[in-house]
Amino acid sequence: MASGDTTVTSVSAGAGRVPMPRRAQRLHFRLPPRLFRPRPPAVRLRRRGRLDPESMASPGSVTAALRVAEVLEAIANRCVGPEGGLVLCTKPTGEVLLSRDGGRLLEALHLEHPLARMIVACVSSHLKKTGDGAKTFVIFLCHLLRGLHAIREKDPFTSENIQTHERHWKNCSQWKSVSQALLTFQTQILDRIVDQYLSRHYLSVFSSSAKGRTLRRRSLESLLEAYFCGRVGRNNCRFISQLMCDYVFKCMACESGVEVFELMDSCFFELNVGVSGLPVSASRIVDGLVLHRDFSVYCPADGDIRMVMVTEALQPLFSSSKSEFMLNSEAQFQASQCWIVERTEAVMKHLQSQNIKLLLSSVKQPDLVVYCARLHSISVVECLSAEEVSLIQRITGLPPCVLPRVTSQGEILHTTSVKFCKPLILRSKRYVHLGLMSTRVFIPHCMILCGPVPGLVQQHESALHGAFKMLRHSFTDLDLNYIIQTEDQCDSSPLASNSSRDSHHLPEIGKYQDITVKNKNKSESTQTYLRVYSNLVASDTELEMPVPWSAQKETPIDASLTGDIRKCLSPERNWIIEGCELSIENNSTGHPTAEDTRTEISYENVQVISNPGKGYTLPVIYKSLEACTSRGYCSSTIPAGCVLPVGGHFEILLHCCLLNYAKQCRQSAEATVGTLIANALLGIPKILCKPQKGKVSFSHTYLRSLHALQTGQPVVSGQSGLEPVAGKYQLLTSVLQCLVKILTIDLIINIKRQPHKTSDEDSEDEL
Amino acid sequence: MSRFEAKKPSLCKTEPLTSERVRSTLSVLKGILASCYGPSGRLKQLHNGLGGSVCTTSQSSALLRNLSVTHPVLKVLTASVQNHVSCFSDCGLFTAILCCNLIENTQRIGLTPMKVMKLNKDLLSFCTSYLKSEACSCRIPVDFSSTHILLGLVRSILTSKPACMLTRKETDHISALILKSFLLTIPESAEDRIVLGKSIIVSLKGQRVTDSTILPGLLIEMSEIQLRRLLPTRKSSALKVALFCVSLSGDFSNAGEGTVVVPYQVSLENAVLEQLLNLGRQLVSDHVDLVLCQKVMHPSLKQFFIEHHVIAIDRAGVTLMEPLSKMTGATPIGSLDTIASTAYGSVKDLHSARFGSKHFFHLIPHEATVCSLLLCSRNDTAWEELKLACQTALHVLQLTIKEPWVLLGGGCTETHLAAHIRHKVHNKADDIVKEDGYSQAELLIAAEAFCSALESVAGSLEHDGGEILIDMKYGHFWSGQAASASVVSWPDMLSRCGCGLYNSQEGLSWSFLRSTYHPFAPQACLSQAAVDSASNLIVDCFTAKLSGLQVAVETANLILDLSYVIEDKN
Repeated sequence: MASGDTTVTSVSAGAGRVPMPRRAQRLHFRLPPRLFRPRPPAVRLRRRGRLDPESMASPGSVTAALRVAEVLEAIANRCVGPEGGLVLCTKPTGEVLLSRDGGRLLEALHLEHPLARMIVACVSSHLKKTGDGAKTFVIFLCHLLRGLHAIREKDPFTSENIQTHERHWKNCSQWKSVSQALLTFQTQILDRIVDQYLSRHYLSVFSSSAKGRTLRRRSLESLLEAYFCGRVGRNNCRFISQLMCDYVFKCMACESGVEVFELMDSCFFELNVGVSGLPVSASRIVDGLVLHRDFSVYCPADGDIRMVMVTEALQPLFSSSKSEFMLNSEAQFQASQCWIVERTEAVMKHLQSQNIKLLLSSVKQPDLVVYCARLHSISVVECLSAEEVSLIQRITGLPPCVLPRVTSQGEILHTTSVKFCKPLILRSKRYVHLGLMSTRVFIPHCMILCGPVPGLVQQHESALHGAFKMLRHSFTDLDLNYIIQTEDQCDSSPLASNSSRDSHHLPEIGKYQDITVKNKNKSESTQTYLRVYSNLVASDTELEMPVPWSAQKETPIDASLTGDIRKCLSPERNWIIEGCELSIENNSTGHPTAEDTRTEISYENVQVISNPGKGYTLPVIYKSLEACTSRGYCSSTIPAGCVLPVGGHFEILLHCCLLNYAKQCRQSAEATVGTLIANALLGIPKILCKPQKGKVSFSHTYLRSLHALQTGQPVVSGQSGLEPVAGKYQLLTSVLQCLVKILTIDLIINIKRQPHKTSDEDSEDEL
Repeated sequence: MSRFEAKKPSLCKTEPLTSERVRSTLSVLKGILASCYGPSGRLKQLHNGLGGSVCTTSQSSALLRNLSVTHPVLKVLTASVQNHVSCFSDCGLFTAILCCNLIENTQRIGLTPMKVMKLNKDLLSFCTSYLKSEACSCRIPVDFSSTHILLGLVRSILTSKPACMLTRKETDHISALILKSFLLTIPESAEDRIVLGKSIIVSLKGQRVTDSTILPGLLIEMSEIQLRRLLPTRKSSALKVALFCVSLSGDFSNAGEGTVVVPYQVSLENAVLEQLLNLGRQLVSDHVDLVLCQKVMHPSLKQFFIEHHVIAIDRAGVTLMEPLSKMTGATPIGSLDTIASTAYGSVKDLHSARFGSKHFFHLIPHEATVCSLLLCSRNDTAWEELKLACQTALHVLQLTIKEPWVLLGGGCTETHLAAHIRHKVHNKADDIVKEDGYSQAELLIAAEAFCSALESVAGSLEHDGGEILIDMKYGHFWSGQAASASVVSWPDMLSRCGCGLYNSQEGLSWSFLRSTYHPFAPQACLSQAAVDSASNLIVDCFTAKLSGLQVAVETANLILDLSYVIEDKN
């Protein structure tokens, strides 16, 4: 696999026809080995089909899926991470496209194997949501399948003497139950683990101050750099991430205005211009908006330039739709022609009198209008796309002007000022450059992306678009829903009562459990729910205090709350929780400690919050209060802007959490699933760290993360990049869902496409 | 609906550059391009084997347009060169050869692609910062008060295109014409924002090249009979011009989406014609002498104009509209009813002109920013080549206005730059390595590969098996006839360096370019006296060459970065 060619072919496409060098090593992921033929297999399949319909179907098993995934993984491995290379795709039209985007890579392969196609579909639906993680998806899925495969190999139940068919069906029913277990694990347990264990390690890209949260430039830089490391060529990633970072900060009206990412994502194509033939370093950001067309009429103007936008032709026509116009005489015809001209002129004169110097139109205006505009020195831009119109509307808040309003002699309401309006010449093509004045959070700027070949410009465009998607996704809260352990479950699973503790405190737990149980007995039997928040524990001293029990839903105590708020809250808490005086007092005494031990470690300008959940879990409290009215369910979030250092730290941390959970778990299914996921997670950092030595090698990273986990300290990494937690977590759930889908399939049936003759070659072969 | 057809799976190859096939195709492409380079470059004849036109060329734009490469890696290379040429017109071959050399050299040195790319990028930034710095001694500021350097620039472009088949005298003639036509497009009254005019190249095949000429204003080609009918009278004063962009054929376009009901007895044709004739009457009463129409004119209206001694020309086409409007100052009229008096323009005079077998209608403006370059050549292929060369030269002159510098041509910039980089890397390796993640040895290896790539571009100028040398003072490029023995007196063998700035009698010492020489610091400042005294200076466009250098390195890096090629087989 290290060198040579990887041919991704499938059952019905003639692999034998593809001209290949002799020595090249090939890897086919066709499922049943007996279907492999050097000749075009499509023919064989069809012939066999007539004799033996069984051969059309192939069992869908983990083995099959693993073979598929391994081929995809081999491809993804070379492109993933900062050391990955570019992929050159050719289109049937002869165009060349450069890419490091896993999604595009998988699509370009045109896979025919049904399982492979399913995986690709899952990847692309994941990409639509988050804009990142396609290659990691494939690698992670492959590791999961490998893990499952290994479990099956060991499984004593699959005895060899059972008939193949029976064994297959037996396997299928097993896989079905495995997939059920996976699904339950993902929906019910994983969210809780992430929320309770992992949240303390989050870093935030925001710095919270009295005015609210502000986005830190260095944090955004490292976030983007890590993203572009995997998406654009190695020599351009720094430049592109700098460009995008500049762009984001230039466009944001205020430092907390993360709403702009939504606009930048949805209007991406209107906000950038691609120019090929220039070096990448010629890319730049220009002030204002660049429209992808030229002026129909350009009249240079300075000073106060007012602009209107119209959506219909300004020249009145003879008849409107669904109406009839009777022409009774030649004179009438001429008179109406004259009237039209006069009317158009009047409109233009009126526009001029209102100091309007620029007319934007979403339709093509007749020659007469263009001529009149020129005479009245009004610049005209025609044929704006609907997207451009809506973008201008969103920036300026200017609704399109309708014709009757224009013709009325009064003042035109919907005009706006522009700073400048001039042609912009890029590579001998002319564009309209408008200095729009923003009334909203977005200050218009445009990116001009240059590159020597169009394929590279496109790559940068799609990478930037993906980055905006990623930012948009990671700057919204990701909801986590899970079931809280009820009282009788709490003994069976140590997680609930121990969630506030790290694994190395395990020996102590039994003791505290006893205490808590005693507490419970003392208090009224109405206590039904246990709610423990990991952020209650800020230091080891606090571990001494008993876990609070409450009759109602307990409000998590947030250490970042200012004293005032806490004072307000405390009486309420006292009111809520009767019979738990002791624990609450303990809690209150715990607070000063929490305040004291709260240290803000500055890690490369990232504000690190040693006490997790501080600052950004503030909204979470209220959410959980609202959501917890239904019994047993809890909602939480991965707060917006949460990040972890790049290079597999998320995976390693989650790996450890899952392993701990699995150790404590009594149900074997849960433990197995937990271990499976935990081990598969390690595959990603292993690949990322493969070419590295020394401080960033895998074992170093692993130990560092482990240390962080044990001490509750933030993860310190040798690399400077950051990656969003929300996206990573979303990836994890997407992969698990994909795996569940794969496992539920028991049989793949190839249906002959009777009504469609695919191609002439096939029919020739059949003769 | 299109036929449903299953898509064929793609072919996916790893590490494309390691395959022998790619290497050999790359070297074939390099061979083709390098043999075209320079004034003594060999010509390529391109034909498709099924008849049709034959193209004889040595220019990258013509060559790459007609050459169909199949390998995706080569497609990236040619696409990037073509894009560069469409932006800057010049230095296409330089970019392509340098890119090929870089790929070949960096593969040979066996560093990881990651390191090579980083090093190449750093070396490129040394080059660009040196070329942009004041200390650069291969850059000459352009003095617009004399034609010395500008003529040298145009002549260098013409001589580097041997397929134009120009003699020395013809080259001088055409260079002068090109420079003249460029100067005509610069408006006399300069405001804060200069808008250049346009020079239109008119073909005239079958004449001698020295018959080529430049005329202010526009030439509109038409038949002799038409011309005779159009020019019945001559006026001495200026002529009033009306320019229409709307059709004057009497069509009815603005009916709207609904229905227009016309009773049987009402004739719209008559009504429209009446309207057109009214327009004609208005034009006549406004004393318009010349009516130009982008689209078609109604025959009756035409007849009407002839009767009233108004010259009417229709079907001018959309390409001529902008220069016509610019030249006459007329606003293109889009209405049939009222015409504002400000919409009219004027021309100084008009003539009929005959060049060779062709007849032209010649509009002479008051102030010429529009001019016509009549380009003659004996045969079609040479004319096509000459036209391309002229367009390149005009574009390069425009670029030079924006960045008023030129670089030394004839390979001297390349060898000088290589010498500079070698010196810098050898003497300041510690400073460079301190910042970045590579070792000193790696830097030296990569710099050697980079510099030898630059030098072998210069070496590609020599096609006759001569010796190629570099002098150890200025770092300029010298070529001379192949010496039979090593005991030759170099000063007598060589006459002038590649760019023509220095001659061999200055007591210089030389080294073979293909051998390794000891790094030296090339002389930093360029003496103005040497520039002024050199008679036939060969210079290159600064903007185009700088961008070509950047594009070449970036494209090479791009190709080195490839780890997969996925070919869509549909």
